[in-house]
Amino acid sequence: MPKQTAKEGAVGSPMHRVDARLKVTGAARYAAEHSVAGVKHGVLVTSTVARGRIKELDTAAAEKVPGVLAIITYRNSPKVPGYSDAKASNNPRVEGQEIKIFYDDQIHFYNQPVALAIAETLEQARYAASLVRVAYEQQPHQTDLAANLQQGTEPKKEKDYARGQAYAYRSAPVHIEQQYGTPIQVHNPLEMHAAIALWEGDKLTVYNKTQAPKLAQKDLMRMFQLPEENVLVHSPFVGGAFGGSSRIWPQETAAILGAKHVGHPVKLMLRREQEFNLVGYRPRSMQKMGLGATPDGALVGVTHEAFGNTSQYEQFAERIVHPTKSAYHTLNMNTVYKVVPLDVSTPCWTRGPGESSGSFALESAMDELAYALRMDPVALRLRNYAETDPENDKPWASKHLRECYERGAASFGWSKRNPTPRSTRQGDWLVGQGMSSGIYKSERQEATAKARLMADGTLLIQSATADTGPGTGTIMAQIAADASGVAPENIRFELGDSALPPAPIQAGSHTATSVGSVVHDVCVALREQLQDLARGQAGSAFSNTPPTDLVALNGELQLAQDSSKRVSYQDILKQQNLPMLEVTRQSKGGPELKEHSGKSFCANFVEVHVHALTGEVRVRRVVSVVDAGRVLNHTTARSQVLGAVVWGIGQALMEQAVIDHRYGNFINHDLAEYHVPVNADMPEIDVQFIDKPDPIISPTGAKGLGEIGLVGFAAAVANAVYHATGTRVRELPITPDKLV
Amino acid sequence: MNQFQYVRPTKQKAAIDALAKDTSAQFIAGGTNLVDLMKRGVMTPQKLVDINKLPLNKIEKENGGLRIGALASNKAVAEDKLVLEKQPLLAQALVAGASAQLRNMATVGGNMLQRTRCYYFYDTAMPCNKREPGSGCGALEGINRMHAIFGFSDKCIAVHPSDMSVALVALDATVLVSGPRGDRRIPFADFHRLPGDTPQKDTNLEQGELITAVDIPDGPFTKNVHYLKVRERASYAFALVSVAAALSLDNGTIKDARLAMGGVAHKPWRLNEAEKFLVGKPATEDTFRQAAAIAMRDAKAFKHNAYKLKLGPNSIIQALKNATAVG
Amino acid sequence: MADENPGTPPENADHDGNRRDFLKKSSLLTAVALTPGPVLHAASAEWDEKVAAAFEKVPLKLEVNGVKHKLSVEPRTTLLDLLREQLHLTGTKKGCDYGQCGACTVHVDGERVNSCLRLAVMEDGKKITTIEGLANGDKLHPMQEAFVKHDGFQCGYCTPGQIMSAVACIREGHAGSEGEIKEYMSGNICRCGAYSNIVAAIQDVKNGGQKV
Repeated sequence: MPKQTAKEGAVGSPMHRVDARLKVTGAARYAAEHSVAGVKHGVLVTSTVARGRIKELDTAAAEKVPGVLAIITYRNSPKVPGYSDAKASNNPRVEGQEIKIFYDDQIHFYNQPVALAIAETLEQARYAASLVRVAYEQQPHQTDLAANLQQGTEPKKEKDYARGQAYAYRSAPVHIEQQYGTPIQVHNPLEMHAAIALWEGDKLTVYNKTQAPKLAQKDLMRMFQLPEENVLVHSPFVGGAFGGSSRIWPQETAAILGAKHVGHPVKLMLRREQEFNLVGYRPRSMQKMGLGATPDGALVGVTHEAFGNTSQYEQFAERIVHPTKSAYHTLNMNTVYKVVPLDVSTPCWTRGPGESSGSFALESAMDELAYALRMDPVALRLRNYAETDPENDKPWASKHLRECYERGAASFGWSKRNPTPRSTRQGDWLVGQGMSSGIYKSERQEATAKARLMADGTLLIQSATADTGPGTGTIMAQIAADASGVAPENIRFELGDSALPPAPIQAGSHTATSVGSVVHDVCVALREQLQDLARGQAGSAFSNTPPTDLVALNGELQLAQDSSKRVSYQDILKQQNLPMLEVTRQSKGGPELKEHSGKSFCANFVEVHVHALTGEVRVRRVVSVVDAGRVLNHTTARSQVLGAVVWGIGQALMEQAVIDHRYGNFINHDLAEYHVPVNADMPEIDVQFIDKPDPIISPTGAKGLGEIGLVGFAAAVANAVYHATGTRVRELPITPDKLV
Repeated sequence: MNQFQYVRPTKQKAAIDALAKDTSAQFIAGGTNLVDLMKRGVMTPQKLVDINKLPLNKIEKENGGLRIGALASNKAVAEDKLVLEKQPLLAQALVAGASAQLRNMATVGGNMLQRTRCYYFYDTAMPCNKREPGSGCGALEGINRMHAIFGFSDKCIAVHPSDMSVALVALDATVLVSGPRGDRRIPFADFHRLPGDTPQKDTNLEQGELITAVDIPDGPFTKNVHYLKVRERASYAFALVSVAAALSLDNGTIKDARLAMGGVAHKPWRLNEAEKFLVGKPATEDTFRQAAAIAMRDAKAFKHNAYKLKLGPNSIIQALKNATAVG
Repeated sequence: MADENPGTPPENADHDGNRRDFLKKSSLLTAVALTPGPVLHAASAEWDEKVAAAFEKVPLKLEVNGVKHKLSVEPRTTLLDLLREQLHLTGTKKGCDYGQCGACTVHVDGERVNSCLRLAVMEDGKKITTIEGLANGDKLHPMQEAFVKHDGFQCGYCTPGQIMSAVACIREGHAGSEGEIKEYMSGNICRCGAYSNIVAAIQDVKNGGQKV
């Protein structure tokens, strides 16, 4: 096998994004921007009650609007064949029956689609939608988690866990027991969800925004009972997703039904307020955390109880107690998690799903315990450092959290911190410093990739993954470059299309590991074939050269000892009379994955300033040290952690979707009232990577990066706010009204 | 959005005539609030009278004061040399509002006329007496953390969202309007209304009246001024509470004071009693604390906005401190 | 109809050339012309498509990225929807449609505005620059180069708005310090969180002294 050129290789270099030019010139086409001949415009009408049935439906005025082609409701909608089959209307990733669009008169949540106006122009469709009159027979609804905890049940996919003695913390010499809460958080990607649906006979093409072209295709095959070759999902650019594009949602279904009904392609983009109900959200959590320790800080017992909401029609469970199970060494631990069905739409994975809510409780509680013990919070974490995964006693695939703490503390200047709350002040502002750590699963899923070396020496790699923003195409080109020997600028990576070789969803921080591994494997295989061809070629200079003496670089094979002996990939193809060389590989990793616990880790250090009079909190300084294995691209990796910090600031200080339970809907359902951080909220952010390859998870040494920076971050902010003010805020977000 | 007629007169009279008899017509200038509300069906004018061709965007000295044309953009006013020199408080308030893009579009007249950000007003599926008289007030028993602590009625507890107006009421501005029955001047404090039984009316403008300018008398408030805006993120958010503070100081003694609050009432809320208290007192934190207490005498909170009873006075103290610290 | 007097904006209801022309052809609408307002509204639901379209569109002259357009648009069409749906300039993004995110930022006569809140008819006679008009042929604008260099985006959806805003931020003289840039770029939301890189890109261009 030729030598790797790891040191000088493309992997690890801060290469610019391969799609950068398209994005900065406006040429990148997102879901609603594809040019489809004859496309009509659709606008959804959604319910204004949270539970009930449609009593009257008057579409006459809407139908008369000039340019209107149809108003689709449950009365005239084409059928979704899968809806009549319980099995087909069960999304395998979420227990239950998915919401059925234009199916019957039943209303299950506020803003449920009840009609679709289709017209020649967007303005006409929007106006027509506003004229659809719907009267409801309202039934009592429940949308308040706190008022319905008794309805909680153990989710089928997240079982309670115990080791040692349950509730052991209660008898520990030092213990704390506190309740924490996190509000509903809405993904709110900048691109509102959109779809264009096109029927050609019984072939369906959908342009949408998805993190998973293959899963979207499967959802549609299941719903519309179509074979794989009849469903194409096209999603080359995704304007932010964060978990919110992980399944087929009502806008796709509605566009598909609309297109079927009017016999033209239909384009549909949600309105911002519909983003709050129709495409998932992070569920509300109510949690109780008990920690007990010996006076010297050794954890005796840990208990984590959590409630989250789900819908009445599906059971969505998340990994809220997972960080607790694996973060710290303790012999006694139990976790309890219950989901409560409410008359709301089904929640969905949201960046750092579960872990980020759960870690807010855990990492806040660790800080509270540190104060109870009069111990430094970093020291407390080091005292309980887990050398193996406490959940299952498996060895870590790799863990460099200790180094995260050390580097973070040093860079931040943690040793200079006076631990007494309210001890530091700058003018009108109280200064506080807090820290936390984060843990997030690192795994690898099965993926397939195809590599095609062209006669001109360029390399095309294909896999049906997505790029929601992390820079998938860029790191894949880098991995492919090092593994194939083709220069990165001569590599094109195609994604975002269900016709490409199958890849898993871009979620759970596993794209670099899953797709990256198979891209690596397929390029190694390609290179090996090229070597064989070169060595087997009559009269080849390499015919007696062992493969280990060949170096693949810049689209050539070179003799390691004498680089003047070389043959280009183009020439190899030419000599063999091959128009191209194509290799497909599938890979999923071996048994070593099961024998180890794969996790990424981070340590967050945060300084906040809290205004002494107004209670405004500003994050001023962040040091985030991340152990995510080998860093494939320092530029895009840093950007991902920057993004996680911004999300963490949003979660900690401002994001909350507020329900008026009388009506069962969010009332702050736009971007003026649901606050996400703006540029002026940005602190100085120092992102550091341990950058040590993980030997188990993937051949590139990468673990996962998308979520880890967010996990625990909100707690670091809350801990810093406590240090600044002496006020412990246990219910996010930390808005001025809670501190004034 | 419904269909509507669109006209773009070049003469003021034509503009006023176009609205005079047509209650379904609206002027449009920057459009930043009106277009937003039309998209959501909150406002459904049948005719828009685009006034951008009217020559109403000058900022000039006038009779011992500043005259700012109603069509001057928020940006133009905030960065105008005369404004910065004579009325820096106004410039600060403008810059605290919205975003650079919106300030480019929004006009002085439009800023005064922006509608409340009350959730229930904005959502046509919710009850709101301001949007639909008689439908009830959603906020009264609902989510009211953004709502009024002064001057509300049982029909409406919404607050006025403008930052600029808080500065203008503090600065004793006058609104110049022109209507079917001629021109008139409205003291700024009387321009906006309290909700009473008719919360659908935000202002005392009459049908067809067009704001042409705002006059601000020259005053001593050229230095010790501060506009404090407390919000949930560092920029581009409406105020939880805001305070416009202007002081005239002589050797640490307050010669004259102006104080107004935003985010607390249906109109920009002038704090006359607190101002009176401040005059002649030393500019100390203790004085400010007492003034703040006076300012809050009539405040009353609802379920979710009790924090304003504390945040309000604290913001007054901080704004006065900041105003004092200047220079 | 609009061709008769293209680009002349309606001064008021009685001098609307577009409408006057139409009235010659239809007596049905005479009543409407005399009593506009609510009657017009009531009538609109009854009109057939052709009649309504003819009546409701107004002429509009625009220069977009140096290209002159003579158009006929409904008054309710926003500049953003005109760009995206009729001129197929999809580089300008719709992120909220309510002026709350900045993704739709374009320059109108050199000033940055939220195109989602502008009625297209209000821009009659104006020069619009969108992200598609920023580069000089194949040569990227310095701000586009800087966004690439500093990784000023991830998903890319807010990027055109950010870049248009960033160019204006420098032109306006609001890029004097990091703090000033952050404040004057706060009207552009980036959900991926590329803010620090965006600030770095702007500082780079500003300090590089290139003409923007």
